[in-house]
Amino acid sequence: MPQDEVYEAMSSAFEQGAPVALATVAQTLGSTPRKTGAKMLVREDGSFVGTIGGGCGEAEVWQEAMDALDDGDARMVTVDLTEPVDGEDKICGGVMRIFVERLEA
Amino acid sequence: MASAADIARALLIAARDGPAVASCTVMGATDGVEVAPGAKMLVYEDRNLGAIGGGPLEGAVAEFGRRAIPKHLVQTCAFTPDGELVEGRRAIEAADAIVEILVEVVEPASTLLVVGGGHVGLAVGQLGAMLGMEVAIIDDREDYANDERFPYEANVICGDFGEELERFPINANTYIVLVSRGHKVDELALRTVAERGAGYVGMIGSKRRTRTVLQHLAEEGIEPDALDKVFTPIGLDIGAETPEEIAVSVLGEIILVRRGGGAQPMSEHGRMLASIRR
Repeated sequence: MPQDEVYEAMSSAFEQGAPVALATVAQTLGSTPRKTGAKMLVREDGSFVGTIGGGCGEAEVWQEAMDALDDGDARMVTVDLTEPVDGEDKICGGVMRIFVERLEA
Repeated sequence: MASAADIARALLIAARDGPAVASCTVMGATDGVEVAPGAKMLVYEDRNLGAIGGGPLEGAVAEFGRRAIPKHLVQTCAFTPDGELVEGRRAIEAADAIVEILVEVVEPASTLLVVGGGHVGLAVGQLGAMLGMEVAIIDDREDYANDERFPYEANVICGDFGEELERFPINANTYIVLVSRGHKVDELALRTVAERGAGYVGMIGSKRRTRTVLQHLAEEGIEPDALDKVFTPIGLDIGAETPEEIAVSVLGEIILVRRGGGAQPMSEHGRMLASIRR
């Protein structure tokens, strides 16, 4: 899976002097939508490039990315896709650990 | 000292044009170990950019990253603070102190260059696209090189084999499959690509035919080393018959070259069941 889209967006943010938050799938267990290394880049205005797995946990990670942009701390987010939501099973059945970091030029 | 912007730019260059780099990021550590989460070091074959705190840990990570490049690894690794790699969940849980490092090889998407748009080329391209490769297909016959023929994302090139191949950019991340309509065309194509440092060159054909082609090219003065690296007859021996099966055999061989492996069944043929029954 080519990641140059994400790096492209990172580079142009830096040229404008803007920080970004980068979320990278660090580890997966069981059935997960994306594999280790998949990336999502989140800008200060909340817009993002790339995906770490569609609906499955992405909103949660986006929120952590926004928080990381705010406080500057790198963090590990565990997304558990095995818990049923609204009485229904989620489509994916695994656990993902996602590393979220704020990067700036 | 490399700034975050230097690192981002270097990653972009690696992802766009190469050469490949192993990006090593400190993600965290067990309590009591001082690390800077987010610290990054880019490890190239011959140098490092950035740092992750120096000491034996940095040296060990650089060493690991360097070895990861040819394997195209993307993996989270655990090290002790003094630089020992800890493998396996039990060992990691048992260790007193662990530093977690994300090692990702960043490189341009691999290209699958298919020479020949016939049945086999069609199937090879399809499987390559499924594997996330950027697929290009070349043929000189319009019936075999038009966008309608290929129901997947591919750069379809219709033109003279020699000229188009001459022009096509080839690097260590280019995988070339010669499956044209005949060994004359395959020979011409191989002459054009053999010495250009592709990650893989495979040519279809019987042992006898392919040997003749290699012999011709050797006599013409093509580097023997380059000819030695050609996978021909092409593919893994899985008894493939149909174009689709041949595609599986060819892409299996390409994965083997990219990732390394034994190319044997994982199972020990029948022994598993026998041991359960016992």
